[in-house]
Amino acid sequence: MKKDLLALGFVLLIVAVLLSGTKFQTVEEYYLTHIDDITPESETVTVSIECSNILKNWDDLDPSLQSEEFVPSDGVILPPTEYVLRPGDTVFDILERAVRYNKIQMEYQGADQNIYKSVYIQGIHYLYEFSCGPLSGWMYRVNGEFPLYGCSRYELKDGDVIEWVYTCDLGRDVGNDWKEEAGS
Amino acid sequence: MKQWWSRIISVVIALTMLLTQMSAAWAAEPLGVENSPLEEVIEGIILWKKAENGSAPEESFFNDAYLGQAGTTAGDWYPIGMGRFGYEEDYGAYLAMLKEKVQERYRKPEKLNRDKATEWHRISLAVLACGGDPTCFGVDEAGNPINLIADGVYNRGNTASLGRQGINGWIWGLIALDSMRYEIPEGAYYSRADILKQILQRQLPDGGFALTGSVADPDITAMALQALAPYYISDAVYSYRRGQQEVSRTVREVVDEALACLSVMQLENGGYASWGTENVESADQVLVALCSLGIDPLSDARFVKNGNTLLDAILSFRQPDGGFLHSRVYDADNPSSLPNQSNTMAGEQTVYALTALWRQQNGKNALYDFRPEGSADGLPPDDPRSVHADAGSQEDSSVLLYFAQSDRDAVDALPGLLTTENYVTVIKLLDKLEKSEDFEGKEHYTSVLNEAKEQIQAVQDEIDGINRDVLEKLYPFNKISLKDKKTVDSIVSRYERLSSYDQGKILRWDDVVKTKTQVDNLQRAVYIAIVLAGLALILALVAVRRLCNRAGSKKRAMEQLAEQYKDEDL
Repeated sequence: MKKDLLALGFVLLIVAVLLSGTKFQTVEEYYLTHIDDITPESETVTVSIECSNILKNWDDLDPSLQSEEFVPSDGVILPPTEYVLRPGDTVFDILERAVRYNKIQMEYQGADQNIYKSVYIQGIHYLYEFSCGPLSGWMYRVNGEFPLYGCSRYELKDGDVIEWVYTCDLGRDVGNDWKEEAGS
Repeated sequence: MKQWWSRIISVVIALTMLLTQMSAAWAAEPLGVENSPLEEVIEGIILWKKAENGSAPEESFFNDAYLGQAGTTAGDWYPIGMGRFGYEEDYGAYLAMLKEKVQERYRKPEKLNRDKATEWHRISLAVLACGGDPTCFGVDEAGNPINLIADGVYNRGNTASLGRQGINGWIWGLIALDSMRYEIPEGAYYSRADILKQILQRQLPDGGFALTGSVADPDITAMALQALAPYYISDAVYSYRRGQQEVSRTVREVVDEALACLSVMQLENGGYASWGTENVESADQVLVALCSLGIDPLSDARFVKNGNTLLDAILSFRQPDGGFLHSRVYDADNPSSLPNQSNTMAGEQTVYALTALWRQQNGKNALYDFRPEGSADGLPPDDPRSVHADAGSQEDSSVLLYFAQSDRDAVDALPGLLTTENYVTVIKLLDKLEKSEDFEGKEHYTSVLNEAKEQIQAVQDEIDGINRDVLEKLYPFNKISLKDKKTVDSIVSRYERLSSYDQGKILRWDDVVKTKTQVDNLQRAVYIAIVLAGLALILALVAVRRLCNRAGSKKRAMEQLAEQYKDEDL
């Protein structure tokens, strides 16, 4: 009688396990597949991509790009999105993750291809430097300020807010006036 | 009397001997141009950069890693400077890689670049400096020869404006065009006058030039002068709109104003500052501009401040390791350059700037005038009498080489399974073989190398294919389910067939590992579920059977008991 109860108990246990969908994973596997899950304890950053300045300079835009396909009507390519901050992540790592996860086109020049030893973002969403006039291109802000590093050299901290913005005036229309800073 | 004479003679002889010894010592001093310190400085930078490249002293400056940068800003300026200086090096290897890269890039719709014509201009100068012909450089997909000067300068307008990126497009287009005083054919999009006017009309009120704004920048002003220099002697008057006014001016007037502007901007130590920071590159560009105009930068009063020349300022950035600093203070606009570390951009610009000066001191053509020495006709390029080079008219510079035993051994040493790591070696050997005189076995080596090249191209295609498939099929991850297992497994097995060098070229492989783990876990979960379900079923069956058995045996026991009692009926 006891054995029967035991056996029945096991059956119920197995059914419960199956129904609840318990996963069987090693610790490494768990970490690997949950690396980007956001929990209250996670360190995260927020990233957004926008090109609203192009809407104010439409005539300067390369004619082949003058459509909603390339320039969203509100200028927002990626609204502020949160990502887990993995140790050592730079601004570039987050951007690359964001564009790959959201299937946004991006083209960049590797750090070994230019003299600044940093990755240089040439184009996002098919909008390139010089696509909207000779003073146009991509810049990024972290917590509202323009870092003076290439994006693959800027290491992030928990809570940082990254904004990728498209300038049509060498930074002046996104709040970065080089000449003022240089004092010349 | 004889004694006096002999004394005088011996003194005279002694003095003469002494004087000749001293003058011999003087002659050993660097008085002549041969031992000019300029050459030492230039060679010092080249050796510094060579060491930084990772090349041993007995190896070529152009090692495999450096050759990978052919056709980029990071790679091209050193060979341009070194070639104009005449430094002995394996420019053939650089030229071969340039050709490969150009042909590769020409297969894309935007060819060298969507918006920047300067890619064509810089590469053209590099081709010329390495002994090639930019008007006939490699072939495109259709098999037509590539003409970098046509595509990048006078016909660029057919694709995008030459000035799409700003004034630099016009400036460097003109420099590339006048490098060999190339003839513009009938029906071309731009004429020389078109390009000249675009530069002239961008002159700022203060006489100089800049990328933006109304204050002259020394680098851009100097580069504009480098482009305008061949036209200084021209009397041609150009009419254009400057600001709000219609003006008619000669190039000479504009150049003189720009020179005055540069003179005012020069610092007391003879150098120049840009974006608020004194740096060596600005001084380098002004030096090239003055030399292009035939001005002696070391003696022209306009450019000597407090006895300090441009050269004094430039040399003050020299480092003990032979390299040059970018600036003496931390420059936030160039954060990879440190105020106590030699910088690669500072080095490359100083190499060609000092070369411009050295060429002037040695009676050679200006830095960007690639015509044969002594062939200058003293006419501006816009003069109809001026002699222009035609496309493909540059003399064939491919001297017959000898494909040495070491080269043949290198071919034999190629591994059976090639990786992209062997690419540069194969290209170099193939180029050398094509230029070599005939020998027994040439056909064999040619076919081996061509096959090798194809094999490597196939590997590269596979790498690109994997990267593309990962991007298209495996994102976003939250949609990954068991039905993607086949896709994931096929991508993983393709990856594992690559060499470890090539595997390094797969982007974000860590994300794929994550996906594979996820899918494998899902698979395992299914197996476990099946096993558990099976187990549960068996247990259930056994339990039921036992229950039935017990129920059955209990019934039989009862029946037996009943039978027993039946027999004992009293």
